[in-house]
Amino acid sequence: MTDPNRCRGPLDDVRVVDLTTSLGAYTGRLLSDLGAEVIRVEPVTERPERHRPPLSQSGLSLNWAFMEAGKRIVSEADVDVASVIGTADLLLTSEGPAALSARGLHPGDTTQRNPALVHVSISPYGLTGPYADRPASDLTLLAAGGLLALAGDPDREPVRAWGDQTAVIAGTHAATAALIALLSLESTGRGQVVDLSAQEAVAHSLENAVQYLDLEGSVRRRAGAGPVEAGTGLFRCADGWVYLVGGLGGRPLAWPALVNWLLDQGIAEAETLLGPQWQERSWRRSSEASRIFRSIFERAARSGTKQELYEAGQSRGVSIAPVATPADLLASPQLTERGFFVPISVDGEQLLCPGPPYRFAGAPVGPRSGEPAVAAGAEPRRSGTPEHERTRA
Amino acid sequence: MTTALPLDGVRVADFTWVGAGPFLTKPLADHGADVIKIESRTRTDPIRWMAPFRDGEPGPDRSGYFANRNSSKRSICLDLKHPEGRRIALELIARSDVVANNYTPGTMDRLGLGYETVRRRTPEIIYLEMPMQGVSGPHRDFRGYGLTIAAAGGLLGLSGYPDRPPVGTGTNYPDHVPNPLHGAIAVLAALRNRRRTGRGEYIELAQLESTVNAIGPALLAAAAGHSTERMANDDPIAAPHGVYPCVGDDEWCAIGVFTDQHWKALTDVLEAPALARRPEYANPDGRRNARRELDTLLATETVAWNADTLAAALADRGVPAAPVRDAEGVLHHDPQLRARDHWVRLDHPVMGPSVYDGIPYRLSETPGRLRSPAPLLGADSRAVCVDLLGMSDAAYEDLAHEGVVG
Repeated sequence: MTDPNRCRGPLDDVRVVDLTTSLGAYTGRLLSDLGAEVIRVEPVTERPERHRPPLSQSGLSLNWAFMEAGKRIVSEADVDVASVIGTADLLLTSEGPAALSARGLHPGDTTQRNPALVHVSISPYGLTGPYADRPASDLTLLAAGGLLALAGDPDREPVRAWGDQTAVIAGTHAATAALIALLSLESTGRGQVVDLSAQEAVAHSLENAVQYLDLEGSVRRRAGAGPVEAGTGLFRCADGWVYLVGGLGGRPLAWPALVNWLLDQGIAEAETLLGPQWQERSWRRSSEASRIFRSIFERAARSGTKQELYEAGQSRGVSIAPVATPADLLASPQLTERGFFVPISVDGEQLLCPGPPYRFAGAPVGPRSGEPAVAAGAEPRRSGTPEHERTRA
Repeated sequence: MTTALPLDGVRVADFTWVGAGPFLTKPLADHGADVIKIESRTRTDPIRWMAPFRDGEPGPDRSGYFANRNSSKRSICLDLKHPEGRRIALELIARSDVVANNYTPGTMDRLGLGYETVRRRTPEIIYLEMPMQGVSGPHRDFRGYGLTIAAAGGLLGLSGYPDRPPVGTGTNYPDHVPNPLHGAIAVLAALRNRRRTGRGEYIELAQLESTVNAIGPALLAAAAGHSTERMANDDPIAAPHGVYPCVGDDEWCAIGVFTDQHWKALTDVLEAPALARRPEYANPDGRRNARRELDTLLATETVAWNADTLAAALADRGVPAAPVRDAEGVLHHDPQLRARDHWVRLDHPVMGPSVYDGIPYRLSETPGRLRSPAPLLGADSRAVCVDLLGMSDAAYEDLAHEGVVG
């Protein structure tokens, strides 16, 4: 039923057909949060993404539940995919060119059939080039794009960021590109192909590593959790780690506040940190200085929890943060007071889900439904019939 | 090339600085928006003083860290604490579609440039703030640097080896992926909404919340009672799954075996039929249970291979594989990135020809492009004041003499 008082998201009246794999699933999720109608067409064969652990009580992948929340799920068996694409403004796919051609979904063909369609092609390596059809996974794309080489301890193998971050890296760039193309579509009536390479998107997130090589001739290597500097880094506390920034670039930051905090906790040895060498770059960057600071700070920190140290340090102007676990975040006073987590229903199970990355003062934004409900078929475009079965969280 | 760019006609008054903000306005600038950075001569953007520098020599117009995130933009210098500086800023905002800033909460209000002030004069403005913790809540004034957001947002603690302290991504990941790109998405969605409704928008992007959204599945899992731990390169399904040593110093090949076909292909390529015959490795559960043992066995085989050759041989057989590229590898030795012309060399007036990250996507009909290298500090002060805001040359000279502009 159409609700005339329905609040409209900024992408109201945009229809998206989502045929992606896990590499592209976050893009449609972001667009759905912003008010687009996202129709997820699932293949007839069972999708492994639905069973990837960890699982809900009913056996549904929680990763899948997060990525698909708010989308309208239909089975390929129940719809004519070509007709549904014909009603869409945006089409999302995330496979290489050969796989797309095999499904009749090559962007050259889809946009020729539908001149007012923006086909956002997210693919591992892009639609062209010698690797365009190489198989890929999150790990291999982090490797190919250069981010994996920057992560890890020097004496161990390079190590992956948690989760499928390539879906986030490619997905955020893809949503940006999709919206640029949508603006163009809505002003000219002309569709087009967006050719996004996940490898290139990863290569766009190397901070300054490529510029270091270009300008100073040095190749950045993995260096654990950061450069060696006394007062900065990870420190053990009663229930995990805190991340403290007591200096940057060899210069102390809020040093008197930090030292006084330690002295007030009865750590007399902290007096030594008031010596003049603690203002000097070369000393601060020595491993000896790091060792001394660590032993003093951890003596104070070992009796405090992450949260206690966070609040006590920050109240004194010290830059300190908890190394938060997901459970810590669910209990975070900041996120709780701001109502960040919203309940969604995953197969009938009510779970708290992170809210959207941004808030609009004048429009609703966020997970539009919990349960990715399996619906029978796609409605024709703008027929005045159902707003579909999504329920507001 | 002079093709019309898709964001031609959009103007951004860009008060962002340091890391995340400028990477938000960069895709807008590279697709045609007139992004005008409002900078200060006395309190220069700290990232202008962050390495790397051309030839290792520091200077406000020599940083590659700054340059890479500020292509296609203009720069003006204003003293925002001077009434005339503030007036010029408001004039510029009145001729803009978007205002973006990543100052600490309350800063824009103190400068007389807060949303309520701006909205009174320019009601259709799209105004984005990106405070670390948000503009409300008990931690709104907490401060942080470097990896603070990655730590407080959960990604740092989840990334690394299970038997060691966390290591994260080795970069300030939130500054380069979720925070700026979520911001760009929000601004573009608001622009689209304004074209249909005429309404402006106030957008608040709390960097903490944006970062937590990027690990959303871990939060949903925690809410369902699962504990999520660091798992190095392990995968919930695939095994073997990891990076394996190859010929050379610190050379690795990333490999993921998701199916029995992948396993068969891997053992064929490595010419290890003995492995293929072991019944305990014949199915995914068996391989996952034996993954540490398999990692060791595979490493003794891969170490005789060149990483590129091994990745190519595996990819030919349908197995996800790639060499672990470092900066040298992605810049100089990757055939795919070269074929796609990923890296862009722009001739900067001080730094000379320098490498910028390319746009990771191409729009077939309205492609973006890096139109110009990063602006010198204040390079466009006169052009913006005189040509855009209609100030007389004499008035400009007076204000420049007073140090208000220029």
